[in-house]
Amino acid sequence: MLLELKNIYKWVNSGSRRIFLLKDINLEVKEGEFMSIMGPSGSGKSTLLNVIGMLDHFNEGTYNFLNEPVHELKEKHRANLYKEYIGFVFQAYHLIDELTVYENIETPLLYKNVKSSERKALVADMLDRFNIVGKKDLFPQQLSGGQQQLVGIARALISKPKLILADEPTGNLNSKQSEEIMELFKDLNNEGVTIIQATHSEMNASYGSRTIHLLDGMRNRTN
Amino acid sequence: MNDSITFKKRTIMIRNYFKIALRNLLHNKGYTAIKILGLAVGIMCCILIMLFVSSEWSFDKFHSNADRIYRVWQDEKYEDQNFVNTITPIIMGPTLEANIPEVEGMCRILRVNPTVTYTQKDFTDQALMVDTTFFKLFDFKLLEGNRANPFPQINTVILSKTTAKKYFGNASALGKNLEMQLGNEKEQFIVTGIIEDAPEPSSIQYNMLISYANVGKLFSEGLQKSWFNVFGETYVMLREGILPEQLYPKFPDMMKQALGENYEPGGFEVYLQPITEIHLDNNLPQGLQPISNPKYSYILATIGILILLVACANFVILAIGHSSSRAREVGVRKVMGAERHQLIYQFMGEAFIVTCASMILGIGFSLALLKPFNSIINRELAFPLNISFVIFCLLLVLIIAFISGFYPAIFLSKFNPVVVLKGKLSSKKGSGFLRQGLVIGQFAASIAMIICTIVIGQQIDYFKNKDLGYNKEQIIVVSTNLNRIEGAVLAERYRTELLKHPEVSEATVSLYSFAESPWITLGFTNEMKAYRSFQYNSVDANFIEAMDIEVKEGRAFNEQITSDVTNAAVVNEAFVELFGLKDPIGKKLPGPFQQEIIGVVKDFNFQSLHTPVSPLLMTMKPDSVFRKTENIGMAFAPQPRISVRMEAGGLSNNIKVLEEAWKQVAPNQDFVNTFLDASIEAQYKAEARTSTIVKIASGLSIFIATMGLFGLVTLILSRRKKEIGIRKVLGAKVISIIKLISMDFALLILIASIIAFPLAWWFMNDWLQEFAYKVDIKWWVFVLASVAAIVIALITISVQTVKTALSNPVNSLRTE
Ligand SMILES: Nc1ncnc2c1ncn2[C@@H]1O[C@H](COP(=O)(O)OP(=O)(O)OP(=O)(O)O)[C@@H](O)[C@H]1O
Ligand SMILES: [Mg+2]
Repeated sequence: MLLELKNIYKWVNSGSRRIFLLKDINLEVKEGEFMSIMGPSGSGKSTLLNVIGMLDHFNEGTYNFLNEPVHELKEKHRANLYKEYIGFVFQAYHLIDELTVYENIETPLLYKNVKSSERKALVADMLDRFNIVGKKDLFPQQLSGGQQQLVGIARALISKPKLILADEPTGNLNSKQSEEIMELFKDLNNEGVTIIQATHSEMNASYGSRTIHLLDGMRNRTN
Repeated sequence: MNDSITFKKRTIMIRNYFKIALRNLLHNKGYTAIKILGLAVGIMCCILIMLFVSSEWSFDKFHSNADRIYRVWQDEKYEDQNFVNTITPIIMGPTLEANIPEVEGMCRILRVNPTVTYTQKDFTDQALMVDTTFFKLFDFKLLEGNRANPFPQINTVILSKTTAKKYFGNASALGKNLEMQLGNEKEQFIVTGIIEDAPEPSSIQYNMLISYANVGKLFSEGLQKSWFNVFGETYVMLREGILPEQLYPKFPDMMKQALGENYEPGGFEVYLQPITEIHLDNNLPQGLQPISNPKYSYILATIGILILLVACANFVILAIGHSSSRAREVGVRKVMGAERHQLIYQFMGEAFIVTCASMILGIGFSLALLKPFNSIINRELAFPLNISFVIFCLLLVLIIAFISGFYPAIFLSKFNPVVVLKGKLSSKKGSGFLRQGLVIGQFAASIAMIICTIVIGQQIDYFKNKDLGYNKEQIIVVSTNLNRIEGAVLAERYRTELLKHPEVSEATVSLYSFAESPWITLGFTNEMKAYRSFQYNSVDANFIEAMDIEVKEGRAFNEQITSDVTNAAVVNEAFVELFGLKDPIGKKLPGPFQQEIIGVVKDFNFQSLHTPVSPLLMTMKPDSVFRKTENIGMAFAPQPRISVRMEAGGLSNNIKVLEEAWKQVAPNQDFVNTFLDASIEAQYKAEARTSTIVKIASGLSIFIATMGLFGLVTLILSRRKKEIGIRKVLGAKVISIIKLISMDFALLILIASIIAFPLAWWFMNDWLQEFAYKVDIKWWVFVLASVAAIVIALITISVQTVKTALSNPVNSLRTE
């Protein structure tokens, strides 16, 4: 079992009212799964991904990641956990504008204190794999959206995560580009990387092995 | 092993930070330029001021025995007054040396004005008469000559390098003769040494040195033994490890023996002042060289630090203002695994790079501006390329980088990735508060400096324009350069000659003119054993009328009345008040003097406006007055001087007329003249200097703050572009948009004014205390300063806002 959410609640207080962002979420994800989260805008997809990615807190419930109880871990330990095992891919790519393609991909390795020679090899592999060797010295603004997202994915993969969390990874791309990205995810998944993506697209969801539906922060079981 | 790995990792990270920092800085060239330029100006101010202050504090430290050399000062007490002096009796040094075994050496220094005859002309030069121990105590460099025996004979002289050049050109001066007159006759002096010019931070300055053995040519045996006449400075060197306080208990006995029946316990106390404290200790009167008011060091240091802080505030304001565009990067990095401290290092690194760049630029600025700065402060400071300067610069870089980088680093590294990556970073109130605080601080400093500029300017105008009680217009003073008796004869001849010229409207002879201040200080002990001192001048019969001095009671001197020459005295109101005289006309002068008071003149400012008008006595002939006085103090040589009032006309022509006339009466003598208004202006040099510095400082401060404001407004506008676009689409006019943006800032500047007012008032009030005659601080000065700041700010804001407001709203709304 890669991760397991039990009775997860997340809320914010607005005045005297309590607004639930996540309500009683129960979810198990096994290693090697490719899961899609769907639901209308505002249903809590991003919130759920952030909780899974340990970027955001939840208020109630238990969350075990690789059999470690995340809710009981210290902040620092939790951060180490997600740095080690989780890669993020964003709808808006979120590359660092001042860094080249090469440097963007390299950044997570720097924070993991990987040796220089090793870093070079890893980044070179990654560039090779995504066919962007020729673009390595360009800055993000000089790339198309699809290329930027490729770099985003390469960056997420560089530290060899077990789990990739992708929040509408193709939201800003045209259908051709989307297809390429989804094919890539599928390949990765076949190599054993677990993927959880939030998406509005049935088409994208169809690449996955499983889809869950959210509505108002709750799993919509009618679907 | 482990250490070397972490070290390597560190350097990798640091390289990475630097790379990113550099790119970030280049990416935002405008803001980077503002930050660097502002800091560079601040650093320049700091460096220049540090040079000045450190020179002030390094006075006299170059002597290897500086820690054991002391200047003797004395405190004479009378019933109701005491007289503190750093100028001491001639006998002081020998007495100390003879009675106190802890005194290892003693050197007296007397300033004299010998007449040097050179190429058949007479010049008055300045010489120090010093004991042969001069080179034993002090480290001045003797280039040629014998340190152990500098004056092998009595008629020998040591010339400074500059003086030697002046009289002998490039030829070697050693062994040559120089004709000089010290006392009553001309004598040949042999040059037995060449001495390096005294370094600038030295309280002992000289053109030439003459042996103290010549003192007899100037002062009678009686004066040389007198304890109540003071003539020069006395320095002593104590034995290793002896502190002056250890010697103080021995002094009363020494004085008792020295003064004999004149001794009263505590009546004449002797103290020692460390030589290194002379320059900045204004609790004691100055000796032979002017001293500095330490206040000016503090004022300058304050100004330097203020400007630097204003520049640092710029950095912080812009860094935080720019945070929205950095927030995403922070979020991404955190998600990529960056820890907060790593981000803090990164931002500190940026601050460090900016500061280093500013430092290089700042050093460049200071090098370029050292010369003008030197001319403002009237110094010859040089750039010290030594270790302590390098350390100063490095420290400055670290401090500035810390002050300006720390808060932005903390602030920026705090962003929560979930929030910023969602792209809804609200312009948080918390940071706005600090930013506003800093803008307020910047403008408060600037406004305070503007107020000071105006008030100081007003005080200086006041100095220039105040009615002094006499007419100072169009006056040129010509000095006879001769002693009292010879000078009086020459002056009278010159005056007669001058009056033949139509360009001359008045000419009057006096021992001292308005170009010298103070005049002669006289003192006596009255029958109540109280000491009374006042100023004295000897003037001719025309003086009072020629100078337009108002006679209040009685009459001025009259040439026709022969008894006036020896028997008449004119005093001022302050004199009448000091002695409590009722109906003074016709009464004999108080004290030992025989003259009768024939007139009282209204107080006129013959001294600088720093001091109130002193009691003044004037007679036509000085001899009998001098004979009756116990205590005579002169800061300038008593040489009859002719004050000439010219008819309005060409300056150079006026001088030519005076010079021609001088050649008629004294063909062999140098023509020495002074413009009265120039020498009066010179009395306020320190104030004029402060004024220039504060003026420049407030200009720089406003400049830096305005640059920061410009950057800040640009940032705010770029963030509110969309809002402005929407408002325009909804029908808002440009002016209402300007109002929207500027109202906030106007309010900030108002608050800044409220902070600046009391500070500036306090500062100026304190500064004005130095003057007996001063301006009131007017309320409109404050209003003017803050209006000026608001106008400058509004112009800055409007220029930027109009640009944004005029741009097509569709463009800004599309960029989403
Ligand atoms: N900090 C917060 N305070 C209040 N409400 C919040 C907060 N964060 C999220 N929400 C609300 O929670 C709900 C879920 O937001 P979330 O971003 O997870 O939706 P989403 O499913 O990802 O929508 P989209 O498809 O538009 O990305 C939304 O209604 C949002 O307004
Ligand atoms: Mg979402």
